[in-house]
This record gives sequence, structure tokens and C-alpha cells, in this order.
Amino acid sequence: MLKVENLTKVYPNGTQALKDVSFEVKDGEFLAVIGLSGSGKSTLLRCINRLIEPTSGKIYWDGQDITAIPTSEMRKIRRQIGMIFQQFNLVKRSSVLTNVFSGRLGYVNTLSSSLHLFSAEDKAKALASLEQVGLANKAHVRADSLSGGQQQRVGIARALMQDPRLILADEPVASLDPVLAHSILKYLEQLNKDRGITVLCSLHFLDLVHRYATSAIALKDGELVFQGLPKQIDDSQFKAIYGQEAERVSIV
Amino acid sequence: MTISEKTLRSLTTSTPSMFFSLIVPGLGQFLQKRRGRGLLIFLITVTLALLIQWSLKNQGVGKVNIGTLTTSWLWLPLVLFWIWNVLDVRAFAASKTFTILPGIFLAAIIIYVIAWQVTGIKLNRLVERFNDARIVATNLLNPDVITISVQGQDQICAWKCMSKYIGDKLAGRTPQGVIRASDNLLNLIGRIKLVPASKWQVMLGLAESGAKTNQFVAGTLIETIAMGLMATIFSTIIAIPVSFLAAHNIMSRLPGGTALYYIMRGILNAVRAVDTIIWGIIIITWVGLGSFAGVIALTIHSVAALAKLFSEEIEHIDAGPVEAVTATGANLIQTISHAVAPQIVPSFLAYSLLRWDINMRMATVVGFVAGGGIGFMVVETVRQGGYQQYGTILWAVAVVIIIVDYISAKWREAILADQRQREEDPKQRRAGILRWAFYGILGVIAFIYCWNLTEISLRSMLHPGPNFVRNILDFVRIDLTPDVLKVVTQQMLVTIFQAMLATTIGALIALPFSFLAAKNLTGRNPLSVWLYYLSRGVLNILRSIEALLYVVIFVFWVGIGPFAGMLALAVTSFALIGKLFSEAIENIEDGPIEAVTATGATPLQVISYAVLPQIVPPFISYLIYQWDINVRMATIIGFAGGGGIGLTLTTFFGSLQYHKAGTVVAMIVIVVALMDFASAKLRQALV
Repeated sequence: MLKVENLTKVYPNGTQALKDVSFEVKDGEFLAVIGLSGSGKSTLLRCINRLIEPTSGKIYWDGQDITAIPTSEMRKIRRQIGMIFQQFNLVKRSSVLTNVFSGRLGYVNTLSSSLHLFSAEDKAKALASLEQVGLANKAHVRADSLSGGQQQRVGIARALMQDPRLILADEPVASLDPVLAHSILKYLEQLNKDRGITVLCSLHFLDLVHRYATSAIALKDGELVFQGLPKQIDDSQFKAIYGQEAERVSIV
Repeated sequence: MTISEKTLRSLTTSTPSMFFSLIVPGLGQFLQKRRGRGLLIFLITVTLALLIQWSLKNQGVGKVNIGTLTTSWLWLPLVLFWIWNVLDVRAFAASKTFTILPGIFLAAIIIYVIAWQVTGIKLNRLVERFNDARIVATNLLNPDVITISVQGQDQICAWKCMSKYIGDKLAGRTPQGVIRASDNLLNLIGRIKLVPASKWQVMLGLAESGAKTNQFVAGTLIETIAMGLMATIFSTIIAIPVSFLAAHNIMSRLPGGTALYYIMRGILNAVRAVDTIIWGIIIITWVGLGSFAGVIALTIHSVAALAKLFSEEIEHIDAGPVEAVTATGANLIQTISHAVAPQIVPSFLAYSLLRWDINMRMATVVGFVAGGGIGFMVVETVRQGGYQQYGTILWAVAVVIIIVDYISAKWREAILADQRQREEDPKQRRAGILRWAFYGILGVIAFIYCWNLTEISLRSMLHPGPNFVRNILDFVRIDLTPDVLKVVTQQMLVTIFQAMLATTIGALIALPFSFLAAKNLTGRNPLSVWLYYLSRGVLNILRSIEALLYVVIFVFWVGIGPFAGMLALAVTSFALIGKLFSEAIENIEDGPIEAVTATGATPLQVISYAVLPQIVPPFISYLIYQWDINVRMATIIGFAGGGGIGLTLTTFFGSLQYHKAGTVVAMIVIVVALMDFASAKLRQALV
């Protein structure tokens, strides 16, 4: 469904974030993206939904190259791609429900939704999404009154509102306690297995990759240095990705 | 269950509540356990009804004749408001969300119509007398800084003449006339003059007693700076002990301390509610006109403001370090110097610096009533219609205040940042000590100079004017006769409405402007960066000048009265709100914008879901804050012809009716304290 070809990104200040990256994601995969901070993971994920415009290369979505399509069409693609973020990126002063509603924006009329008017179905859908992440009772509280783990679950509920076929998760657990990390990744795993939503998730810890991912790619200084099954990442692979000084650590 | 059944059921359950809200607005909501909303609706209805009646009776606001009945058309929106309140109960009972916008809209119509009339807005004057305003504006923009004498004739040499002169010089031509600094500029800054030798010169043997020597005689600008400096030093010193008496965590340990704490807090709030200018008018009955009276007035208000901030800082001392230091076996003094002082000294200093900024601003206007400094010069200059001279004063004030604002902010930042490390190297350390000794000596010299300049005289404090005691006794014997109360209440209402209109107008202009002054919108793009600097510059210059100084300009334009005062407040409101709004825009987080964009939202949807929710609450909070400030400022703009309660106060003081002036001050204290409390609570709920 998603194919990335020779993707390159050079920022205006000259930083080369991605160098000629090519890979393919099959339907229903849980693909982990690993690599050090600054290796280009975030840039890669943001290029896929064009929050960042790639410098060159192609991205195929259902066989269509989406790097060249106009923004109005890109919005239609974006609504099929949910995204969750390291810093959750909720609007803190808005209610949890309003934050979840914002996941539906790509489907509804601009004018009525700008006035915060939603249909009864969308309202039911929002509550159902919150139910799914176990936060139905928090619908009307302000987003910043929730804990970090709860905020990330709202982030997942927001993505679910999009009826996504793909979820991009940018370090979804890096700001959370290890215990919470498992809880969030279990939700993603569930969506992946039960609903067949493809997941593209950048992760720091190799442990988590082994536990949840069905395949993995690794970036180093913007280049793809590994592609394969998580269990194939042995010690020598690990040193190649993280550098000679790295030590394997595990969480929980 | 069919739809009709459902409606029927919700109707039957809501009917009693609707009935209650029909009889007493808000009661239905109250019974639905929405206590706050019910109470608010009730209070708003009562207030609006009283205002409509009052404005109809006194000013004929909204007067219409229906047959023989004379009434106000403003009752109509009130009836609609009443109906909205009943519908609100029904909607809630049917568990539907009901918008509060119609309620707010109807209440706003009534309030703004009344405010518009009561404040005496005459838009036609803005147009009809535009020519006068243009002349004043031209004069203000061509300040009297340089004098040129052509064939023995002195003339003001403004920009045009200056550019010609400089052009002639550069081209090698002989310019016509001789230029020098104008008398106006010298009055402002100071001049060398032959005056009797001071006692310092005699003491140091530089001059003989009675002999005349050439000396620098400071102008009003220097005097104003000295006033602000002295008031800040005095108020910091006095506020420290006072603040301990107003700190709950300290006082609650002493027997009877809690009672004293509440008394101190009460006094501080009351003193703070009375503006520096009003203190000035009270103080002159004590020490007479002059810059000393100004220093005392500034000091009194500053002590109250600083003591409150200091005591809050003391209340927030972390008990942990105190416990830890005590546990090492330290005595009381060691505990204070190692565990308490490090926690409070930096913030005390920072607050004093902030107060220095405020005191400098107030020092520019306290002379309006207390004499001394630039304020006094303004009164004299404007009385003679010298708007070119006034232009110089305004520019000078703007420059000084902007510099002070900058220094104060930089120093506060440095103080509150991490403490610097001690120099370990003995050589550097010696240099450090020398440097501080140098600054210390410089500080002492400046202090003595300012002390002399502002004519501080403890003797005159002990020997007040002949009628001082009688006046004070008269002043505290507040006049509560109905007639006086009625006048004072009316003028207070006018003042509150002035403040509200000024906030509204200021905010309406500030809203689009603040987007231009936000760094993240205009400041990063090389094509629009000039817009950022221009709009920030305009805001900073306008903000550096006090409302009282604007009043005298607007009085010339639209005439004496509350309209002029309102316009002056609108200018200062625009400047402050513009700054606060643009900072709120700069603080928008990018994350939510990114997240909403990623869902496939259109730009309009991104604004509605990710941008507006981040800026609307702080905007509303700033509006309430500005209204609070404007009510305080509106109590004094009457001193320069801006109408409202300040005018009433000067009238009573001028005619020596101190007991009535006491009523006015008491009223101001109550209203300002209430506004302060209400605005703090509201803003807490918002952000």
C-alpha cells in the first residue's frame, strides 16, 4: 500500500535529514523505525503525510505518487493516515471530546465544523473511540487535566476518528513511563491485529521493537541501514545502527 | 419511544424549572444544580434593570414615548434576555447544549448603549474638530528642540528647518541663522547657571558662603527620574518589614498574629486601590506642592504594592531548605541567611525593579497635582497652548521610559536567572570587589544628588501646613448624605463605563494589529520583518506614555469630558493589549497545529481547532485585566479634564470640601478592590 522510493530531504539550513531512502510497507504490517535521535525518523514519518515536503524521491500510496498531488487531494489522503506524536499534540485548553472531534475534520464540511457543529453519528463515533481507549468518562474534561498516558490515549482516539488505514506513530512512548509505554503499544498492536490497520512506528528501545513489531527498518544519519525482521537485529547489526559505544538496555 | 413522547417528557420535567426561571431569572438554573450560572443570570438581570432605570431617569438614555407612557426601549432586550433564560432551562432539562451567545449579546447591547450615552461619546466632534486635532498633531510631531536665530529673531527649528540646515552644512553652504538648544529643551534636561554656592561646595572649600558659582541646574526630566528612583528606594526599604507583617505563614505563628495579618492585608489593599495621583492630592495638604510631595505619593502607593508582592513571596518560601539547615544545627540568623534569604532576595530585587519601571511612569504624571517633575511642566505648557513644547516632552518621556523598561526587564531576567558563580581567582576577585566599590560610591553620590534634587526634607514632614490636622480629620469624616452619595455613585458608574468602552475600543484595534506584532507570524520572514519592528515600535512608544498625558491632547480635540478621557484610555489600552495579545500569539504551540493538519483538515479548520482554542482564553483574560487597570486609571484621568470620578474629586478638593472628597476616595477603594478581586477570580477560572 505504501512504497517509498529514493526519498531525500535537505532542510533549508543544509542539514541532510534523509538520503535516498527506499522501502515498502505491506498491508497489515507493524513496522518499527529505529535509529538514534536525529537519524531522520521524524522527518521520514512527516514526509509520508507531507507535513514536511520531501526534496526528491517518490511516495506511492495505493500505487499513486502523492509527492506531486495538490494539497486539496493530499488532504483526502491524509484523512486515511492517522498520526500520533511524542508530545501528544493535544490542544490543552480544549475538552477531550473536542480534541477527538478534530480527527474527523477531513470528512466534514469546513464551515459547520469550524463552528464546532458535528452530526449525531460523529458524536457517537467520538464517544466510541474514547470508549475504545478507556476514557469515555473523561470526554468533557480539559485535555491538560489528564496524565501523559491518558493524553496519548486521546491522541489514539483522535487518530481512530479518521478511520485510518495507516497510523504513523512518532516516538509515541518516548515521553512516557515504561509501564505506560506497554499500555500504549498494546493499543496500537490491538488496532493492528483486530482492525488490520497498518502501523508505522518509530521507537527507541529495541526491546519494544522485538515485542511488538512484525518488521523493522533502521536509519542512521538519514540512510537506511537495515531492513528485515526484528529478530534479525543481532549484536553486530545493533552496533552498526547505534554506533560502537552503544550498549543494549532493556526496559521492564 | 417516539419523538413526540420524548419532547413531552422533557417538557413535563422542565416545566416547573421553567416556571421558576420565568418568575425569578436564574432560579430554574439554580434548582437544576447549575448554581453559578443561576446566580450570575439573576445578578445580571437585576443590574441591567437598575442601569436601564438609572440611565433613563438621569440622562434619558433610550427614551421612547408609547402613548402617554415614557419608557426606555432598552427594556426590550432585557425581556428577550429573560426569555433566553427560560429557554436555557428548557434546553438543559432536555439535555441539549444551549448556546449562551444570545444571552451575552443581549446583555452587551444594553450595557454598551448605556455606556455610549453616559460617556458622552460625540463622534461628530472627532470629525468636525479634526482640523484642530491635525494642528496639534503637526505641532506634536515637530517638537521644540532646537532654536534658530535668524537676524536676531528666535524661531523654533523643527525637522524641516533642521534638514535644510544640515543639508546646507553638508553642501558646504553657509546656513542661514545660528542654532542652539531651545529653552524648552534646557528646561527639560537642565542648564549651567550662575547660582549661590551649595553647602557642599562651601563644606569642601570650593566656594565661599554666599558666593555665586556656575552649576548644573537639573531640568524637569532629571527631576522626574530622581523622583522615581527615590520613591523606589524608599518603598523597597519600607516594604520589607511591612511585608513580614502581611505574610500569613509568619504571622500565624505569633499570638494574635492572624488578626494583625488580616488588618495589614486590608490596609495594603486599600492603599493600593487609591492611585498615586490621588495620594498626591492628599499629600500636598501635608508637605505642600513640590517634587517631595510627588516622592511621598509614589512611595506610599509603591509600599502597598511591593509589600503585597513581597509577602506573597514570603508565603511561598519552601520549608524544605529551612528544615535542612536547621537540622545541621544552625542558629536562627544562620538559618535566615542560608535558607530564607537565598529564596526571597532575588525575587524581592526583581519586584523592586519592576516597581521602578512603574514608578518612573507615574513620576511623569504625579506632578499634575503634586507639583514638581515633568507633570507640572506639562500643565504649564499645555495651559499656554505650547504643543510644540509638549511634543518635546512626550518624546523625552517616551525615550526615558523605553530605556527604563528595557533596563528593568534585562536586570530582572539576569537576577532571576541562575546565580553567577563566585570568581575563584583572587585577582579577578579583587577586580570584582573594586568594581562593586566603584558602583557603590557612584550609587551613594547619585542618591545624595537625587535627595537634594527632589528636596526631601524630613523637617517639612514634621511641620505640616497649618490646616493639615483639621483637613485630615475632615477627610476621614466621610460625608454619607444621600445627595453626595448619589453624585459619587453616578460619577463612579461613568468611570466604570469609560473604562469598559476604552477596553473594548482598544481591543478592537489591537486585535488585527497584534497579529502584525507577533514574531512567529511577521518576524521570521525577511519580507515582513519590517512590519514586526514597526508595529512593535508603535506599541512600545504609545505604551510608554501615561493616559493622563494623552488626555490633554484629546481635551483639545473633543473638549473636556468623559469622552476625552475614554479616548486617552483607549490609546493606552490599545498599546498594552496589543503587546499582550501578540505575546499570546507568539506562545501558540506548533504541535496541535501539526496534529490537526495531519488529520486532513483545511486551513480554516486548523485555525478553528488548533489556533483559536490556544489564544481565545488568554485574550479574554487580558481583556478583563485591562478593564481592571482601566478602572484604576479612569479614577484619575479627570484630573486633566477627562471627566468621571477624578473630576468630582478635584472639584471637592479644590473647594476644600474634604469630607466629600473622603466619600469619593472611599468609593474608589471599594470599587477598585472589588474589581481587583473579581478580575483575579475570573481570570483564574479562564486560563
